Amino acid sequence: MKRRIILALCLVAAVSAAVATTTSGATRKASAASITVWLQVDAQNSWPDLVAAANQQFQSAHPGVKVNVQYQNWGDHLQKFDAALAGGGGPDVIEMGNTEMTKYMAAGAFADLSSAKSTFDNSANWLKGLAASARYGGKTYGVPYYAGSRVITYRTDLFSKAGIKKLPTSTAQYVADAKRLFAHNKKKGFSPLYIAGTDWYFAMGFVFDYGGGIATQVSGKWKGLLASKQSIAGLTAYKNFWNAVSRASKTTDEAHPNPYDVYAQGLAASIEGPSWFTCCVGKKYASLTKQFVMPGHVAGQALPGFLGGSDLAVPVTSQNKALATDWIRDFTSTQIEKGLQAKGNIPNATNLLGNSVNERAASRSWFVPTAKHWVDVENGNILRNMLAQILTGKLSVKQAAQSASDNIASVLNQP
Amino acid sequence: MSDGSQTAAAAGTLLATSRRRRPSLARAARAGVPYALIAPVAAVIGAVLGYPVYWLVRLSTEQYGLFELIQHKGIPVGLRNFRSVLHDQVFWHTLLRTVVFTAVNVALTMVLGMAIALLLARVRTPVRVLLSSGLVLVWSMPVVVAVQVWYWMTNFENGVLNYALTKLHVGNYMQHDWYASTTSQLAMVTSLIVWGALPFVVITLYAGLAQVPGDLLEAAEVDGARSWMIFRDITLPILRPIILILTSLSIIWDFGVFTQPYLLIGQSRIGPANYLMSVYLFEEGYFKSDFGRGAAISILMLAIVAVLSVVYVRRMVRIGEATA
Amino acid sequence: MRRRRARRQLAWDAVGVAVFAVMVFPVFWMVTTAFKSNDEIVSLTPSWLPLHPTLQHFRDAMHRPYFWTDVKNSLVVVLASVSISIVLAFLAAVALARYRFGGRKAVVVLIIGIQMLPQAGLVIPLYVVLARYHESNALTGLVITYLTFVLPFCVWTLRGFLIGIPRELEEAAMVDGSTRLGVFLKILLPLMAPGLVATSVFAFITTWNEYIFARILLNDQSKQTITVWLSYFLGSSRHTDYGALMAASTLTAIPVVVFFLLVQRRIAFGLTAGAVRG
Repeated sequence: MKRRIILALCLVAAVSAAVATTTSGATRKASAASITVWLQVDAQNSWPDLVAAANQQFQSAHPGVKVNVQYQNWGDHLQKFDAALAGGGGPDVIEMGNTEMTKYMAAGAFADLSSAKSTFDNSANWLKGLAASARYGGKTYGVPYYAGSRVITYRTDLFSKAGIKKLPTSTAQYVADAKRLFAHNKKKGFSPLYIAGTDWYFAMGFVFDYGGGIATQVSGKWKGLLASKQSIAGLTAYKNFWNAVSRASKTTDEAHPNPYDVYAQGLAASIEGPSWFTCCVGKKYASLTKQFVMPGHVAGQALPGFLGGSDLAVPVTSQNKALATDWIRDFTSTQIEKGLQAKGNIPNATNLLGNSVNERAASRSWFVPTAKHWVDVENGNILRNMLAQILTGKLSVKQAAQSASDNIASVLNQP
Repeated sequence: MSDGSQTAAAAGTLLATSRRRRPSLARAARAGVPYALIAPVAAVIGAVLGYPVYWLVRLSTEQYGLFELIQHKGIPVGLRNFRSVLHDQVFWHTLLRTVVFTAVNVALTMVLGMAIALLLARVRTPVRVLLSSGLVLVWSMPVVVAVQVWYWMTNFENGVLNYALTKLHVGNYMQHDWYASTTSQLAMVTSLIVWGALPFVVITLYAGLAQVPGDLLEAAEVDGARSWMIFRDITLPILRPIILILTSLSIIWDFGVFTQPYLLIGQSRIGPANYLMSVYLFEEGYFKSDFGRGAAISILMLAIVAVLSVVYVRRMVRIGEATA
Repeated sequence: MRRRRARRQLAWDAVGVAVFAVMVFPVFWMVTTAFKSNDEIVSLTPSWLPLHPTLQHFRDAMHRPYFWTDVKNSLVVVLASVSISIVLAFLAAVALARYRFGGRKAVVVLIIGIQMLPQAGLVIPLYVVLARYHESNALTGLVITYLTFVLPFCVWTLRGFLIGIPRELEEAAMVDGSTRLGVFLKILLPLMAPGLVATSVFAFITTWNEYIFARILLNDQSKQTITVWLSYFLGSSRHTDYGALMAASTLTAIPVVVFFLLVQRRIAFGLTAGAVRG
């Protein structure tokens, strides 16, 4: 009896599966006039209203064309994109991280938008770092969408209790403030400024602050810059700074543990990271939390911050390139960019920049080399390993930097 | 009633199965039947996997990166991909590490699995339902979530593992980083994988135990046989096909496991020092979008796994041939 | 004598409960975290039970878009995959275990060979194949994919169970005058019940938890399965809501446990049947 019930249930399931897919098949054939947009799930979580507004704008200009927004995960959206490039059925618009663009531009994955560039709002004032990530071989293949910088999130109560009246305007001042914070907070594992050991997004800011760099192209070939005098000065300054302000593990990355979790546990007077960190500092400290721009070694100047961000591109496999370009234009309009800014992001053009901490931090920024194989450098953890070796003292700054520099050059120079 | 005594008599000859030939009259009539029974499975698998397997083989002999993927055309380069992989030191180190890793995992899974299956048979029904439901709960946990829970349990800051070990006076494990060395990292991964693999092995072995005729066991007990003798002489031979299957499957799965090591060790700590074969495949092939190389590594992995499991597979095939 | 036996039985039962506790601990951790407030989850001292249990995470999880739709999709895909594969695999296993025919060995080797293929390498070409037949972004395409990977395993395992059943039983029954179908229904199927159940539970759980193919093949969020829905918790570049993720995972584990509880009695049936026959 029970066996029969289970069998019946299975038949029902199989039949409904068949029905479900035949109906979906029907809608597939009828949707010849529609475009598919791949945005990251960040948009679904944080600004779905802006997406809806852009869709409305688009549809008023193109009545009868449906916009099918499919949200993606950062972890596997490129795998899906690869499959779509191979077999078709891919998106007409895709959001790409700025560090992901170069590899795909070099492979010819995107349509050339150079001729349409001037039609996008504020294109003459696009943020340099973002615009550079969307250009390859002199052509423009993407439109900057939004950016984010890194700031210091800090405990106003701990700072005032330690007698720090003015926020630090140089790294030397920060080190002095750290000593005061240590004096007033004897808890084990407490850090005046929690920096994960292998947080290269922060550490490389020091390299650029001292005039160094990661790599540069000289007549078509990549040359590593980490072993240059300036870079080594920056790395040494970083090592000294880190030892003075952070008690984090020297080999861990910036997600294990999350800095805001350390902050919420009461073990950090300040943390560095994206400005949205304020979301998760815990109920106890939410009202005692503010942000400021991380200073560099020269008083009054910000430490160059890593400019993260996203671009929007049109895959070369799209059948509706013109419509896709129109949608991008609507989604990066001044109005939408102002909306993104209101949600705490950095808009894509300098003339739109406001005065929030996040945006001021972006005034001095650095970006990774726009090389086809840069993602391999990141994935091979070359910079992370270098930082771990420097901080643990396994290698001297010079040795670690030299080996990383050579490594990077050989990876970037692969065919 | 007559059914019962005849089945008992039949079961009694279990230990001395002789190879009998089926009567040839029936054979002619049934010639087409097996093919008909196999046909649906063959059709589904053939239709779906035919092209992908061909694609994999073809790609292993081509230079096929992102550019070629978009063009839908690769550049034939013969065995260059294979040569490059076989000349890679990292490949050989990873292979050795994975073989040892697989051996440890499979051994732990099978031994613990057998023990718990026997336990399941021993306990009373309420405990049995509790334990088997618990195993299914474990089985049903998505791997990504299991990795996250494992991370919470073993992290050096506030993980319960350190807390419990210290409280039980095993030593001072506060702030101990279980992910500092390769051995420790892989030990954590092993614990996660064995834990996740036990439910299936236990339930399948228990199902196999259920096929052991109860009257045989009782007869042996009445005869005065000790429990481990019963296990060795009656239970184990009956379970042999199942054990061989589980071992061969465990070898295949543990050799190619990807999600647990990749997520638990984490992107920032994954490197040639702690690569396992599937992580190596992912990093060298798919992450770099070098699909040709990835295909070559896939085929090499297939060959290696085949070699590793050949002993068990051959025994399994022979048993099947013998009883047919 | 009876008291010693009773004490020994109690000892075994205690061991059983202890093993249960150890195995289930991580699941317990997942479930209790689902009820903990965010501050408690992050706190430095681990707490065994939530101090101030909250249902907020469950509410957050169920309110995420497409939860119920994706649960439905998962159930449809999984039930279809399991039922079809068990039937087809059983037939094939019977052929491989009970008949002699040309090419049998080759089929067996092929069955095990397919399981040795690293699945990662097959994702993209499989997508290409399915796209060509308009089965990408369709639940039937996913079911067919799952069948392809679950069938070899089911055939291999069921063949093993069948081999374990002595031929003599069937032959004795046939001598008694029973038809081939009678043998099938009255002898083979009951003895195979535990094996069929174990295999179907495995097929259920494998397809229920499968992620990679579901992710790559399904595009519309309304068609995705629950594992893909879960992945969105971890897919953002912003912070992960672990409480909600644990709540969501707890919810998604329920159908699996229900399925098992429905079928688990079948495994015990075989055990007691053997004892009763004596």
